[in-house]
Amino acid sequence: MRFARSNRRGINRAALSLSSMIDVTFLLLIYFIITTVLSKPEDQLNPALLVDQGSVVDESLMDPQIIYVQTVNLQPVYKLGSQQFTDRFKLAEVLQVLPKEPGIIIKADDSVTVGFAVAAIQESRDAGFTKVTYVPASN
Amino acid sequence: MAFGSSKSRVIVPIVEMTPMIDIIFLLIIFFMVAAQFAQQARVDLNLPLENGEQDESLQDSSFIINILDNGKIIIDSTEGEISLVVLENRIREEVVQGNLTWDNILIRADENGTAGTMNKVFHLLNKYNFSAAKIATESN
Repeated sequence: MRFARSNRRGINRAALSLSSMIDVTFLLLIYFIITTVLSKPEDQLNPALLVDQGSVVDESLMDPQIIYVQTVNLQPVYKLGSQQFTDRFKLAEVLQVLPKEPGIIIKADDSVTVGFAVAAIQESRDAGFTKVTYVPASN
Repeated sequence: MAFGSSKSRVIVPIVEMTPMIDIIFLLIIFFMVAAQFAQQARVDLNLPLENGEQDESLQDSSFIINILDNGKIIIDSTEGEISLVVLENRIREEVVQGNLTWDNILIRADENGTAGTMNKVFHLLNKYNFSAAKIATESN
């Protein structure tokens, strides 16, 4: 008995099923689109840290420009020298004209919100201060 | 017995799609699960809406401290809330192992919470001689 062998001898061409490949590609695409939308873009502020421990801290470090972030009459304020601001944009205007070389210290009370304190760091950076130091309120 | 005829046959390998698809699906599942684990370190918070430093050179943070608006501290969402004492123990362990530098630590604090807990965390970092901190913001 003889079977036709022509088919066996013929070169088998690789059958690539494109439809499955496209399915997988679309699944991957959808997955990455969803995860990209869900994760909000984050950035960072990285101030230097200094803890005010009375006489331990060199007073000369605390002398220069200090922004006190405090609550006065139940309202959060930025105090810079004799000036007091409730608005970050007014603080920004004053920061623009200050000398940048000595750097700036931000001393935040426990009572203010994180957003209000972080805004002072951001405004200092935006004003051109490279040396921004955050001093948390004493324990 | 002669089996000569089969030797002369040219065998061209057929690319099997089924195992390839299996592997691709396995990879997808792996990356999805891995992404879930990565998300556990980041709790859903209202971060301060600030532009930040825009500094690409900062390395990714491996130690993330989340501070909720009610002052609770979370470093892994599967663990839940931890106290300052537990946080200090964790930091000490990492410091002893030499895994922590200041730019490995990221503080993610809710903008609506008071700065009290964040200040306490900074005191803690200062205690272990970290000279700076990274505060997460949400880019506009």
